[in-house]
Amino acid sequence: MAVRFPSTEFFQALQAQMNAERDRFRQLGYFDTDIGIRVHGDGLPGGGWEGVLRFEVFECVGAQQADLAREKVDFTLDGDLAVWVEMLRNIKEHGAADTAHSINTLTHFGEGLRCLYDDPDGHDKLYRFAESVQEFFDLAAKLDIEFPASSTAASAPA
Amino acid sequence: MSYLSTIDFFEDKSFVDKYRYTMRTGELDLSWMKAATEPAACEPQNPRRGLTFRDLDSGSYGFSEMPELIRKNRSFAPRGAEIPDGVPDLQAEVNRKSEVWAYNVEGYYEEAMSRQWNATTDIPWRELSKYELPEEIGKAYAQLLTFLTEVEMIATDVPAKWLGRLNADFFEVKNFIATQAMDEARHAEVFRKRALSTGWGLMRASVQNEHNLKFLRDADSFAEASLTLHLQAEGMVLTMFRFSEYISPTDVDKKLFRLVMQDEARHVGYGMQHLKWVLDHFPEKREIVHRHLDEAENFVFGGGYATEVLEPFIILSGKGMKKENIEQGLKITAQFNLKQIEEYFERLDKCGMPERRERSKLALAMEMTRAAINAQ
Amino acid sequence: MAYFAEKDFFEDPELIELTQKIFSGELQLRWYNSPTEKLRCQPHDPARGFTYEDCNVGSYGYSGLPEFVRRNYSMAARGSEIVPGLPDLGYTINRKSDVWSDNVAALYEESKARRWVPATDIAWGELKSTPLSEEIGLAMSQLCTVLEEIALVVMEAPSRWVFGINQEFLELKSYLCAQMIDQARHVEVFRKRALAGGKGLKRASVTAEQALKEILFAETYPEASLAGNVLLNSLVLAVFRHVAAVAPTPVDARLFRLAMQDTAREIAYGVGQVRYHLQQQPHRAGFLQDYLDRTEHTFAGIAASPELMEPLIILTGGGTSREAVQHGSTRVRKLYQLAADEYLERLAAVGLPRRDRSRLRGFFD
Repeated sequence: MAVRFPSTEFFQALQAQMNAERDRFRQLGYFDTDIGIRVHGDGLPGGGWEGVLRFEVFECVGAQQADLAREKVDFTLDGDLAVWVEMLRNIKEHGAADTAHSINTLTHFGEGLRCLYDDPDGHDKLYRFAESVQEFFDLAAKLDIEFPASSTAASAPA
Repeated sequence: MSYLSTIDFFEDKSFVDKYRYTMRTGELDLSWMKAATEPAACEPQNPRRGLTFRDLDSGSYGFSEMPELIRKNRSFAPRGAEIPDGVPDLQAEVNRKSEVWAYNVEGYYEEAMSRQWNATTDIPWRELSKYELPEEIGKAYAQLLTFLTEVEMIATDVPAKWLGRLNADFFEVKNFIATQAMDEARHAEVFRKRALSTGWGLMRASVQNEHNLKFLRDADSFAEASLTLHLQAEGMVLTMFRFSEYISPTDVDKKLFRLVMQDEARHVGYGMQHLKWVLDHFPEKREIVHRHLDEAENFVFGGGYATEVLEPFIILSGKGMKKENIEQGLKITAQFNLKQIEEYFERLDKCGMPERRERSKLALAMEMTRAAINAQ
Repeated sequence: MAYFAEKDFFEDPELIELTQKIFSGELQLRWYNSPTEKLRCQPHDPARGFTYEDCNVGSYGYSGLPEFVRRNYSMAARGSEIVPGLPDLGYTINRKSDVWSDNVAALYEESKARRWVPATDIAWGELKSTPLSEEIGLAMSQLCTVLEEIALVVMEAPSRWVFGINQEFLELKSYLCAQMIDQARHVEVFRKRALAGGKGLKRASVTAEQALKEILFAETYPEASLAGNVLLNSLVLAVFRHVAAVAPTPVDARLFRLAMQDTAREIAYGVGQVRYHLQQQPHRAGFLQDYLDRTEHTFAGIAASPELMEPLIILTGGGTSREAVQHGSTRVRKLYQLAADEYLERLAAVGLPRRDRSRLRGFFD
């Protein structure tokens, strides 16, 4: 069944995938960070979507829509819907993000996604856990994703 | 101790101008493209093992062709790179290969990198709740663990002290030292954690062994430091770990000692291969080695004062403190002491020092131990 | 330098008598009632395992460490019974706030958990399937040559200090061991990348090495940590992030992503160390500002060295054509500005604001 992006269901589906690949994420090591997600899009209810992903030890322990103004996170990945969709489509197509669509590349000069933070320590967690962050998003390759009206829904590989 | 670069990069006009010119015009120097270095297309010889340092042992990049005396590189330039004029002097004190090298050091390094276990998660700590050790066993074990956590990081401090003094061309050795430093931190950690999980905490520090640590720490050369640390001290500790696994009070502890002994065996391996290399390539050092072992063995014998190490062994191996337990414990501990010394001599035999057995005063220790065994 | 025992134990009748007593079953048991704290530590979070934080209890913990360690210059484990006769092992760093950071135990645990193995975690065999052009291959080799130089220095930095640091700071010394092995890994992986690419190593960098030596030979530990972990690593992390973003192959993207994890962790320690240091020794802020006034130029010396900058430009632009170099130069300049900004931001967050004072940003403008 398709999960709509962006939504709590989408991120909880990623959470479920991650928790099913416990051994892999355990091998990558402790993953202790709280990440804000912000998607801007005129076609989205309220003009955008915000949520929080919480990671602890080797698991994603929380994935929820949230008002980021009221939440404490280490950093927020903030970008336009089109950028997020292109990234996820790339992940679906290749099984994992290619270099041009990795979280690191998209946030590098803030031209694709922006990495926003209050504390540089929080910012640096994006890099301390870089491989885990990337492999988390790469799990989208296993999902059947429904994109907002202007996009064509992507299907999970058979 | 401080050093100031020969160039102030904010002030040096030619440096600043060159940067600005490059950025403004896009004209690159590119002379490094023509660096006078060898091409290399190293590949994994064994894909299952991945790309190893041994796979990189090629031409000027390799360790096999490295000369005995490093005359050309006193900088941080990676071995085989082009070394331009003006690189600084690292002030390396050790520039002779036979002072540091060991057969298979590259193999030991790769093994160390692939076998890094984690004291936090690889010991089944939760299973300890199944066991309730009697007081005398718990205390004896906590005391043994106190000794072990106390001494482990000498093998961080000593090699680390030398790491920065070695020529950069010996990076395989530096890298191996870095893995040993981490191994020993892990050992100090696991023994400390185990002691703090017994309910008895840490116990008494060991004066006699601390003086032995100081001897290890203050060696005059890397070769001497390695000889006594890796081969003599860690060799004896390896025997101790094997023995400790045998007398472990729980299955969790058996696993713990199996894991630590893997690392220890690797260090001993390096020590043996280093001594072999020294004797093969720098035979003049043989008498220096003997003199250093004379004093090392003095400390070994002096370890008889460390009753806070010996007595826990006796209690743990005899499984208690009643008369019959102590008798049994003494027998087993005496056998262990003999084995420690015997294995030490065997290692030296294998390294090409069979004459050590005749020269050593540890024969006295063996005689006393055998007498003790016979008296029981 | 050599240390000799107080006596020839083989000629020591007291020792022989003691040994004979023990082996006749007359145990001394001086340790048996050791007056140390009796407690049982256990894992607070079974999923995380049994951490040093779980052992941060009572006299064994690091929270209770005094600022000045005066009572123990041996390797006797913290919390164990200190008995007369323990030697002085020669530790010269005995002040907690000169080395400590509140996150050091957690970072040690993180470093162990997040270890990776260059020999087998990088898909070296896949490099053949994405052959690089001549100029990109050369650029990657040159870049890796400089990165190997830098890693050699960052590996040595902790080794210069660790043996002089009091053993009471166990978790900190353990973290320094983790940093050494992390950098050994970087020495290894960059050398392997250069030698797997077909071009071998290229040229060592005079300007980078002069700058690196100045960083490495800092006079005090707080200065060494600030220069190495914060100043230098701010540049290194930015370079890793950049190369991961412009990587010519997926293998390289992953390699640089893994490397950035280790470097970011070192920054976290370095920043935490400055914070702790200044909380306990606020008067040192002026001293460190002065140190940075005269040391920040090393960041420029490394960044603007042709041996680092030019390969970055070529990798970024995708070649050496005029257009490629122009594009690459613009992006690399932006990278250096970003790295300098983030470095200044880190310092400001921990009590060393210097945006108005630093010449670093202006160098790259």
